[in-house]
Amino acid sequence: MSAVSENRELATVSLIGARIPKMDAPEKASGRARYIHDLQLPGMLHAKILRSAHVHAKIVAIDTSQAKKLPGVHAVITAADVPWQRPIGVAKDHLPLKPDRVRSLRDEIAAVAADTPEIAEAALGLIRVEYEPLPVLTDATAALEPGAPLIHADRPGNIAMTFDYSHGDVGQGEAESDVVVEDVFRLHYVTHCCMGVSGVIAEFEPNGNLRLYSNTQVPFLHKREFAELLGIDPGRIRIIQPPIGGAFGSKLDIYPFEPIAIFLARITRRPVKLVFTREEEFLASPTRQPVLFRLRSGCRKDGTLTFRVAETLHDNGAYTSWGATTPFVMMQTVSSLYRVPHCKYHTRAVYTNNPYAGSFRGYGNLQATFAVEAHMDRLADAIGMDPLEFRLKNAQEPGETTPQGMHFRTCGLKDCLKSAAERSGYVEKRRAYRARQMDANPVKRGIGMASMLHVGGGAKIYPSDGCGTILKLDDFAHVTLITGASEIGQGSETVLAELVCEELGLPIAAVTVVNNDTDITPWDVGVHASRTTFIAGNSAIGAARKAKAKILAAAAAKSGHAPEALDLRGGFVVLKASGERVIELGKLIRSLHFQDKAELVMTTHYYEPPSKHQDRGFKGDVSAAYAWATQVCEVEVDTQTGIVRLLRVTGAHDVGRVLNRLGIEGQIEGGVVMGQGYALTENLIVEAGAIRNPCFRDYKLVTAPEIPEIDVEFIETMDGEGPQGAKGVGEAPAICIAAAVANAIENATGVRITALPFTPENVYRALRGAAQPPQWRPAD
Amino acid sequence: MSAVERFAAPRSLEEALEILRAGEVTVLAGGTDLMPQSHSGKLPLARVLMSVRRVPELQGIAETEGTIRIGAATTIRELRASSLVRGRLPILWQACDRFASDQVRNAATIGGNVCNASPAGDTLVPLLVLDAQVVLVSKPDGAMQVRRLPIAEFFLGPGRTRRRPGELLAAIEVPAPPAGFVSEFYKFGTRPALDISAISIGFGAVRERGVLRAVRVALGAVAPTPIRAARAEAALEGAAPDEQALAAATAAALEAIHPIADVRASDWYRRELVRNMLPRVVRRACED
Amino acid sequence: MPARIDIEFTLNGVRTRASVPPAMSTLAMLREVLGLTGTKYACGEGECGACTILVDGRSVNSCLMFAAECDGREILTIEGLAATERGERLVRAFTDAGAVQCGFCTPGLVMQASALLAADPQPSEAEIRRAIEGNLCRCTGYRKIIDAIVAASSGPDPALAAAGEGQ
Repeated sequence: MSAVSENRELATVSLIGARIPKMDAPEKASGRARYIHDLQLPGMLHAKILRSAHVHAKIVAIDTSQAKKLPGVHAVITAADVPWQRPIGVAKDHLPLKPDRVRSLRDEIAAVAADTPEIAEAALGLIRVEYEPLPVLTDATAALEPGAPLIHADRPGNIAMTFDYSHGDVGQGEAESDVVVEDVFRLHYVTHCCMGVSGVIAEFEPNGNLRLYSNTQVPFLHKREFAELLGIDPGRIRIIQPPIGGAFGSKLDIYPFEPIAIFLARITRRPVKLVFTREEEFLASPTRQPVLFRLRSGCRKDGTLTFRVAETLHDNGAYTSWGATTPFVMMQTVSSLYRVPHCKYHTRAVYTNNPYAGSFRGYGNLQATFAVEAHMDRLADAIGMDPLEFRLKNAQEPGETTPQGMHFRTCGLKDCLKSAAERSGYVEKRRAYRARQMDANPVKRGIGMASMLHVGGGAKIYPSDGCGTILKLDDFAHVTLITGASEIGQGSETVLAELVCEELGLPIAAVTVVNNDTDITPWDVGVHASRTTFIAGNSAIGAARKAKAKILAAAAAKSGHAPEALDLRGGFVVLKASGERVIELGKLIRSLHFQDKAELVMTTHYYEPPSKHQDRGFKGDVSAAYAWATQVCEVEVDTQTGIVRLLRVTGAHDVGRVLNRLGIEGQIEGGVVMGQGYALTENLIVEAGAIRNPCFRDYKLVTAPEIPEIDVEFIETMDGEGPQGAKGVGEAPAICIAAAVANAIENATGVRITALPFTPENVYRALRGAAQPPQWRPAD
Repeated sequence: MSAVERFAAPRSLEEALEILRAGEVTVLAGGTDLMPQSHSGKLPLARVLMSVRRVPELQGIAETEGTIRIGAATTIRELRASSLVRGRLPILWQACDRFASDQVRNAATIGGNVCNASPAGDTLVPLLVLDAQVVLVSKPDGAMQVRRLPIAEFFLGPGRTRRRPGELLAAIEVPAPPAGFVSEFYKFGTRPALDISAISIGFGAVRERGVLRAVRVALGAVAPTPIRAARAEAALEGAAPDEQALAAATAAALEAIHPIADVRASDWYRRELVRNMLPRVVRRACED
Repeated sequence: MPARIDIEFTLNGVRTRASVPPAMSTLAMLREVLGLTGTKYACGEGECGACTILVDGRSVNSCLMFAAECDGREILTIEGLAATERGERLVRAFTDAGAVQCGFCTPGLVMQASALLAADPQPSEAEIRRAIEGNLCRCTGYRKIIDAIVAASSGPDPALAAAGEGQ
């Protein structure tokens, strides 16, 4: 008992802004954490999926008879075995097992459940499929042409989705412009490359309830979707979330492998585990949304922005996942990153036989910022204004509401711009490097800047953007924090514990977080849109404050002090003014418990942010707060090889308030390096519908020797709605790296490259004038 | 399902050659190429998987009377850590330093790298520059036979060498470079090591009073095998490495290569890299 | 019946026997035959380092090593390392430095760090970066991993001094 109180005494200093190690780090670092890949259930079978051999074809016949005979095989299923399967995915255009047609190489045709993965794999080799190849469409522009083959019979013109937004009058805006620039940008395929490959374990209980071990980022949404898929009551589905080997948005939609595992579990009446190989992970996972982006922007010679017209073409792939909805985010940047009086935005997402895209950290914002920030530099140069000054002139300030309806209660954009510029020496360096563009040394230096705007207080795109918390204190003042917010490696459990400890005056060690079982945890919409700290944080604080009020009321009754005169610090009820201890917290709680009118300290809170759903024109204050950042990237370009090295990233992030300094630094550093990969090294090569480099040998993630120096300043704008003033940050650091690097390469070489990635050959070609710049050809 | 029925781990060269002579053997050294190739089906494993790691005659790095002998089962880590290699064969040391990763270097062997005969194999270009010889041993009818080949004649195509089925690569022999020998290895990549090179360049020559003699130019990943560029060597032979000579050597090198286009690079870009980097490599080698 | 090879080796300090298919990798043996799941599969082709173990004190990718090659050797996995004082020191360093996010790459990095520090107790930052060039991480951006290894390397390690560990 005394050791416990010793620990509690340590918690007298505020935890906000402290460096708090991640609570589950020791078990992960020591190999004790058990991910889905590590779990074994009694009687468990292993499943493998047979994928299409053709990019586009009719399935004429499937013969599974030989596969079924292989010893150790428990079931071989095709669409014919699950006639009750329902379509999945964002547009419900995607059946897990394809009955009569395959539309891409990843299409799932059959699946096997067997005693071992090797037997399942061997059984796949015994399945005979007869195809009738169909004409292949692997170019979104071609898919729009009249007479192009239809990928889905019920989607005329191969249009999956369209988005249209406007504010003001772009005609007027263009007329008022002294300078107009237009470019076509091409943003490429990359993929998440979570270190833990996709996997799931499905198990039906004897009463027919489904228990799913899943790495979903949206367990409560998926509970409902799986229920619809299976035709059972959602209350009979339990989702358990083992520790996840990375997510970054890859687990926000239902992909066929999970329903397939469920089908096999139902049919075999055994638990079924399905885990991808790394090659399969590359071949079958959703990608980041590739975009062809035509942007036209203007400004007056005094430096005020006048208009932006954006038109984008999204290769939707064979089926619709979250990639098609990235325009929600993209249009926010086009309409509201810097003050733009007139704006028009249009996207067509078009079906092809290519791999489909999902959601990926930044959710379209990397693509949009790449275009917008290229034009900020181009416009500034065209009117002879320094690009920093140009950005500052158009930067919003706290209290503004954009024409799209986003209200910036806090807005640190100007501070971010100034901070990043000053600490990096941006203005002087940009001038100096530009002067050296033509000198003899083939190795050049360049510096470039880009800012970003992203939601930082959730995103009200579902009916509720809320999160529930259940909180209890036991007899020894140990807290159990039960939160709906999932943890995907970003450290949400530690931040939530921190916020609760701050309210209750306890050390982190006094908290257990439960966040991974839908039978236990209250509803949360899910981990996306950088919302977890903000929404789940406010929810946890609400529950903690209710507990605190109850505790202080009881302490007041017992001690005779007024509740307002009391506080919780260091594991004690104390006098607020002097800090003098009144009663040890555990002792107080026990006295509440073991009395005639016994009471336990248990509270709940559901936090719904005060944001608004957008109207049909996509206008509305969709988030309860907005996050900002500016990043300055310094590069070295070897013009004889095209190799671009990212030397230094100087960032300034408006995060509202730093909660866990260790955690937030980790998010920034990881996001920067992810952005670096997007800009310089990663390229998923998709040709004729096939992924040519499905392995780490040929798909290059950034490695330790390649990382830049990172220098970040946190701008604390203390958002009034944010938990302790904090706003979301998970996606921000990845968003503007590529845009800043593009500007830096232009500064170094005088060449503006409008297509990613900036791999050595691509850069070299662009510098030599041997590249094919992106062209806009889609029929208007 | 693998066809392997037996795993052999001979403890002497004799024993290894006996097993090899009996046929249907896949030789295993470090396994860093063999394992992924067998998984992908590129190289199905034979009935007997024979590890040569414990064969003492395949170990060791030693210099004797002007020849540096490197046992085929010497790991890349051992080469990188060897002061003999770093001091006497720096171009080979450079390739070992740029080889894959620490974990792979701890297992991979020079013999495996040579027998795998990838046109992009890291140690191959330096060995060409160093005029290495491969030492092949066999026991076709009881008595041990040794066959030496210049390494330039050893490679037939991607993954193909002149090693006969009953033969084991026992060692690489490198004549100790003469006084005044300068060299440089260049491997294109954005990382220090973990890259399959789009191209690699090796250069070596004896520098005498500003003039180059016994010039060696080797190129990797620009032809079906790593190659020596004889006419590029001739353009530099007896010349000072000035702009004119380098231009002539580069033009000759470009004639000698037949790069392909693949996921890593286009043929055009490989040519550009050779054009731009060969002069830089020679200049770097000749810096003091 | 498919062939099996009987092997005997020291696993985390304990003499161990196993019977494995000839073509099985050490990674598969550890995870599937011996039930040690701390060593991770993340690529199976030696490009990511998540499967790093120590064999006779040297780090290797266990996905590239035939299980049969474990015969007669000393194998150390994360489970074994984490139970030693040096391992605990590394786990603490990784935790305190914020070097763990999803944690999937971490066991491989802890193993690699251990091998590095055994060979070079006070590596420079450049040497650390080269030493972990074969370990991929998608979450942290490596900065805090490097910091953790620097922290673990600073100062005398009482465990090393006392046990005189040569590995």
